[in-house]
Amino acid sequence: MATSRTSRRIAALALLALAATACASEKATGGGGEAAASGDGVKTGPGVTADTISIGMMTDLTGPYASFGKSLTNAQQLYFQQVNAAGGVCGRQLEAVVRDHGYDVQKAVAAYTEIGPKVVAMAHVVGSPMVNAVKQRIEADKMLTIPQAWATTLLGSEPIQVTATTYDIDMINGVDFLAKEKGIKSGDKIGHLYFEGDYGESALNGSKFAAEKLGLELVEQKIKATDQDMTAQVAAFKKAGVKAVLVSVGPRQTASLVGVSLAGGMDIPFVGSNSAYSPQLLPTPAGPALLKDFYYMTGGAPIGSDLPALKKLADDYKAKYPNEAIDSGVAAGYTAAGIVVDALKKACESKDLTRAGVVAAHRSQSSWGQEYGGTMDFTVFDKPASLRSYVAKPDKDALGGAVVFKDASESDLVKEYQVPVG
Amino acid sequence: MSKSTLLWSVALAAAAVVIPFYLDASWLQDGLFAMAAAIGAIGLNLLTGATGQLSMGHAFFLAVGAFGYVYFASVPAEGGHAALDGLGLPTPVAAVLAVLLAGAAGGLFSPIAARLKGAYLGIATLALIFIGHFVMSNATPVTGGHNGRPVPPLEVFGFVFADTPDAPLVIAGVPFGALERLWFLGVVLLLGAGLFARGVLRGRPGRAMNTIRDHEIAAGVMGVPVARYRAGVFVLSSMYGGLAGVLIALVFQQTVPDYFGLLLALSYLAMIIIGGLGSVAGAVIGAVFVSMLPRLLTRYSDALPLIVQPGQEGVGAAEAAQILYGLAVVVVVLFLPGGLLGLVTQLRLRTGRRIASAPAAKHSLTPTPETRN
Amino acid sequence: MITFIELLVNGISIGAVYALIALGFVVIFKATEVVNFAHASLLLVGGFIIAKTHESVGFWPALLLGLAGAAVLGALIEFLVIRRANVVNHSVLAIVTIGVDIVLTTELTRQIGTEVLALGDPWGSQVLHLGAVNIPLARIAALLAASAVIAAFLLAFKYTNWGVAMRATAEDAETAALMGVRRGRVSMGAWAVAGALAALAALFMCIFPTPGLDRTVTATAMKAFPAAILGGLDSTTGALAGGLIIGVTESLVSGYQGELVFLGRGLGDVAPFLVMIIVLLIRPAGLFGTRELARV
Repeated sequence: MATSRTSRRIAALALLALAATACASEKATGGGGEAAASGDGVKTGPGVTADTISIGMMTDLTGPYASFGKSLTNAQQLYFQQVNAAGGVCGRQLEAVVRDHGYDVQKAVAAYTEIGPKVVAMAHVVGSPMVNAVKQRIEADKMLTIPQAWATTLLGSEPIQVTATTYDIDMINGVDFLAKEKGIKSGDKIGHLYFEGDYGESALNGSKFAAEKLGLELVEQKIKATDQDMTAQVAAFKKAGVKAVLVSVGPRQTASLVGVSLAGGMDIPFVGSNSAYSPQLLPTPAGPALLKDFYYMTGGAPIGSDLPALKKLADDYKAKYPNEAIDSGVAAGYTAAGIVVDALKKACESKDLTRAGVVAAHRSQSSWGQEYGGTMDFTVFDKPASLRSYVAKPDKDALGGAVVFKDASESDLVKEYQVPVG
Repeated sequence: MSKSTLLWSVALAAAAVVIPFYLDASWLQDGLFAMAAAIGAIGLNLLTGATGQLSMGHAFFLAVGAFGYVYFASVPAEGGHAALDGLGLPTPVAAVLAVLLAGAAGGLFSPIAARLKGAYLGIATLALIFIGHFVMSNATPVTGGHNGRPVPPLEVFGFVFADTPDAPLVIAGVPFGALERLWFLGVVLLLGAGLFARGVLRGRPGRAMNTIRDHEIAAGVMGVPVARYRAGVFVLSSMYGGLAGVLIALVFQQTVPDYFGLLLALSYLAMIIIGGLGSVAGAVIGAVFVSMLPRLLTRYSDALPLIVQPGQEGVGAAEAAQILYGLAVVVVVLFLPGGLLGLVTQLRLRTGRRIASAPAAKHSLTPTPETRN
Repeated sequence: MITFIELLVNGISIGAVYALIALGFVVIFKATEVVNFAHASLLLVGGFIIAKTHESVGFWPALLLGLAGAAVLGALIEFLVIRRANVVNHSVLAIVTIGVDIVLTTELTRQIGTEVLALGDPWGSQVLHLGAVNIPLARIAALLAASAVIAAFLLAFKYTNWGVAMRATAEDAETAALMGVRRGRVSMGAWAVAGALAALAALFMCIFPTPGLDRTVTATAMKAFPAAILGGLDSTTGALAGGLIIGVTESLVSGYQGELVFLGRGLGDVAPFLVMIIVLLIRPAGLFGTRELARV
């Protein structure tokens, strides 16, 4: 009895296997990788149907950059909603496909495999390790991707668009700012506290270059994202007798550094990278120290600036997400969404909404984004899109916790600088 | 081999062959991660489950395997910030060497492993993860530093396990890309790894290992060379880790030091506990459970109650998966001493008794660690 | 020299905080022979309660609430999980605590969300100036509080009934039970004490010079593992010594990173583990741990 049941089951399985190879599967017929022309004469590819355009976001909602990732995602959803309300792009509605990678490379790779085939572009990807992990595939897919990280390792790839400046450019402009306005002169020592990895090392390239050019001595301190207490680092800086400190770490470490330094009588200027500051730190005990002599460099205008486009964005954002805090992710996300949508619009004009068409359209723009406070040149991809950095200063009352201290400018130093690529 | 085992084998084999023809790339990738995890978990189960040596540093040996493969197989290249070294060996040779290297790393650690017991061993192996991460981040020419480096695809007798857009491979109308090809490699490796481990466990060494776990001194008195066995199992388990690392690297196409961290090591422990300690099937079940759970929840988050879409207030899919897998560990230890495998065996025994008078399974599948010493 | 003194004092005070955590491990290990990987979540709970309540009830009551909350959680883990797990292999119990930790940490970090929570301590960012040496007041408070608590604990361990019962259980659980020691009570008490110690440690880990409580606090708790192990898992003196060794090592290695750069950057994080491995190579049961003697 058992034998007959077994053989029956095996027969059934064999049939199943046969069916599998015979009619194959959706996979055989679908694929969807090939470009096709749709009814309106626009060439389309993956992620674009007759009435929708799907755009991916690979963000961090549960990891260390969760607050940033949330602001980015919200701001981009807001942008898409506004575009859709105005009729969409190319007669199609925009649809966001969001995946949370929690700042985990493996999850990011898995997320790309999952949503990559279904979207036409990536409106943001948080974290340069994550972008690097899927870089080869982004290039093979010709997927226009806006990383929310500003390391130089992300340059040199046609479909990947780093917005505005890279970390090294910011640091060079920062050292220039210190020399011009904070009295740092040849022979002085300056410190640089930085994270291991792309972010810190890109920034360090810039500070090394600037320090050499200006005859400064650079005191390096490398830390990890898990380090919280900067007492030992401050002691090292103090021992070296630094006159200013550059900061390319996370907001928590910045707060600890600045707080400990000031408390220990080291009353010197601090200049941070754009990822070193977060308005959430102002209510903590480190708040007063941050308000004193801390500045951060950023390629994109802070949302607390006077630009009308950003003021409108702040109002719209508050109306849609009344309970959410406003931080640098809002402006950064909104701008990145704008880049993608403008590329799509341009691609629509030339009737080619395939991924390659979108990248080509994007790369045809040489000055983008005046209304967001900085022009970016998208025609080259082995250089940063801009060399101008704002100097921003924390402010308790300003929207997003910061105001523009010095308008965006390009230092003379940075013009001589050769950006390392890849 | 009993009839039902045969049936299961045939069914699994058929499924393994058919799956790449139906499921899309992301499912295959999840499946491949699960297979790699299963290989690693089998190795850990030999060490922790069968021999009773707590290792919290398994992720380190995965890293050795992954980076070893990349280093052996890559051609030296000029990177962005620093030059990358490599030996440029044929990829299958590189893979074998990487596994051996992981074994050697385990061998180097075994003087420490041989001296320590229980919790001390566990936390000493924990040090491997932190020290390993430090070395990987600093040895930029070998590992690519914090960013990691790309993984050269495996090539066996001219057959490349990668996407080949110029010469696409199409079988039965289905385009065979990297993941479809790797799928079959994964199946073969897992099968080999599983059968070998089963041979070890069911033979003389397996009984010796279990005796060491249950009562080390008794084992020594009975003539088991305890120290040699402990070191040997440590090396073998490291090699399994190395193999899993190579497979993960091939699937990833990029190796990153951060991935091989504490969370990964802990998840391997969770796998063998959830699946069932001390057996091959337990390790596989646990690996599939732990590695597929977050993906299933993420993918069907819109259909599941209580789980919110990304960006909304509430429990997200990733968090729900974390909580579920933490709970699973606790529940299994409290209520299912044999793990999920034990549950399956029990259910089969019960239904078997009801349906037919056929004799129950001949051998006990799991040597559980719950035997009192 | 000034730098050295600053780093040393700082290391000692961080070390004292590590010692608090390590002491918790040791107490739990002595009472139930479990290595508690859920310790990080006890820390998080304590800190979270202090952070959430200090605004409405004031700092000191909030601290008491935090201590009590973490103690209750510890006792609950013992009562609901550890006691009920019918396992002889203690490695399995250690893995169960990993499961508990994953559940608690995930939920707590979700609650904390993306905020950085201040704990409302009275020391703020004040600094004590002793000549040229500057030491944050919070660090001094940490050192004093930790020393006082550890001293009180060691005395209690030696002279109170609970301490005697605990030591008896650790020595020989069955005989202790036969002598009328209630094992359940002893082990639950141990978990509660460990919880309270962890909450106190959480306070000092999250105030100045660190900006506040957030989801990354659990990572710092990891450093107490080598502290407990290198001192010897079953020795209270060992926890103290281990904590101080780890704290000072970490502080000095990070502070002199510039001079140690040939060893690679970021050495401060691994130094505790390297020290631990070296100690274990020489003394497999830690500095003060009892060597397991085999009787055949």
